[in-house]
Amino acid sequence: MAHIWPIGGGKGGTGKSFLTGNIGIMLARQKFKTLLIDADLGSPNLHTVIGLPYPEKNLSDFFSKRLADLEEAILETPIPNLFLISSARNKLDVANLAFEQKMKMLRAISRLDYDYILIDLSAGTSFNTIDFFTLSGSGIFVCCPEPTSIENLYRLILSVYIRKIHQVLKSQYFRELAEKAEARNSDATINKPEVLLHVLKEIDPEKAEMIERILRGFQFRLVINQLRKQDNPTIGSLICQIIEKHLCLNIQFMGNVSFDERVHDGLCGKAPFVERYLYSQVTLDLRSVARGIVNGHHGEAEPLLSVRQV
Amino acid sequence: MKKLQDQHFYELLNVEFNASPLDISRAYKDLHELYREDSLASYSFFSKQEREEILAKLHEAYSTLMDEDKRYRYDRLLIERGILPEEMQFQAEHRALRQASLANHFIRNPLLKITDELRALTSSNSVIQEILSYDALSGKDLKRIRKELGISLEVIGEITKIRPIFLRAIEDDAFNIAPSKMFLKSYLKAYAQCMGLDPNIVANLYLKRLDEQKASGSANQDHVDK
Repeated sequence: MAHIWPIGGGKGGTGKSFLTGNIGIMLARQKFKTLLIDADLGSPNLHTVIGLPYPEKNLSDFFSKRLADLEEAILETPIPNLFLISSARNKLDVANLAFEQKMKMLRAISRLDYDYILIDLSAGTSFNTIDFFTLSGSGIFVCCPEPTSIENLYRLILSVYIRKIHQVLKSQYFRELAEKAEARNSDATINKPEVLLHVLKEIDPEKAEMIERILRGFQFRLVINQLRKQDNPTIGSLICQIIEKHLCLNIQFMGNVSFDERVHDGLCGKAPFVERYLYSQVTLDLRSVARGIVNGHHGEAEPLLSVRQV
Repeated sequence: MKKLQDQHFYELLNVEFNASPLDISRAYKDLHELYREDSLASYSFFSKQEREEILAKLHEAYSTLMDEDKRYRYDRLLIERGILPEEMQFQAEHRALRQASLANHFIRNPLLKITDELRALTSSNSVIQEILSYDALSGKDLKRIRKELGISLEVIGEITKIRPIFLRAIEDDAFNIAPSKMFLKSYLKAYAQCMGLDPNIVANLYLKRLDEQKASGSANQDHVDK
């Protein structure tokens, strides 16, 4: 079964597509059969990052049933072992997927025979993005060491958290419990999921324990991108500490990726960065993150279990 | 996941029940860094009120566990509630006893050789451990440690064979009287060893501050010259 990693971050411009593309290349170069999926349906550009300017097929062909299954949407790339499902030249109305379409897509993804599948997600906290995290039970968050980026990261993680509780409890029961919880403690709103969970524990301990178990089962990772010399290199660990301590989520810091002016040059040259700047600090950092993805799987539960169960 | 309000002080600071004052001081410093008002890592995660509550709770935990009397009473409370194992009572009492006898120790044993026991006495003193957690040490800090141990300069002079005038110059940061840097380092090491402290750490922290002072002094002088 493939290891599936949705890659997201609350804010645009944090380097999600850059990391997805370049880590994918590194995994492929290590002879892992790797598939990249551009699920940033509104502003797709993963194909550009890996140097494939004219993808012939795209994801909307799958949704519009022009392609019989997802496998037909897969494109070969110039890099051996690396494959792509692009969203370039998608139909413009495909940006908002229905829940059923996402489920269909995730089910189809889970049937694909690859070593690694990396899904590049859009910025923001739309259901399009957070459902990939809640349904796969895993994910890599990309964040820059800036207040705006960190603020949006927390917002995204809290949205995933509350969406999962919502999915587990089903809509009506969730509303009832949320109302009861809010009546007991005015802080227990959906904006304060950790307080909500504590109050749920008092109202329905069995359900609360089940939710906590499911939330603890998430396999989340964090990468700090564009770290400059003057930035605190431990910021990623500190963010993980806050999330683990206050949201009881399992999140592991995977490392920092340095800031480099040449990333811009690489993108303008439409060539993959890690192929062009083999010995740059950014390439070394990305290699370490890719190593973390490969080594991190030993002894772990298989991601996407929940998708198969749904 | 326990609510912050429901966590006892050891959980809150994420330290063991038998943590030393240095461990507690370090843990508090790290957590304060994480939750303080201008922390980037926790930016936007908490409301202003939540942040203030967390910081107040952390400070309460820190000030209780760093004070031997308060810690002893707090440990007793946790033992009574069944949170802390019964055998910890012995450790708590032992710690309090050592603390109480510390001040008299040197009076009774003025020429005490440096033993493991002396090091244990020093490492269990919360004030000393707090001072040692600083980034750099001044003569005033060393004097506080010495006073905490209740040992006179004359006794140190007698043990180390260093003239009291130099020892006093070290404690007064009187660098014009203090010996050259090479001698100063060896004097500092002997002074520290005499009080059961790590000689290298004390000498390095003191010299670090000395260098910083000299650097800032020459920078000021440059400014005046300009």
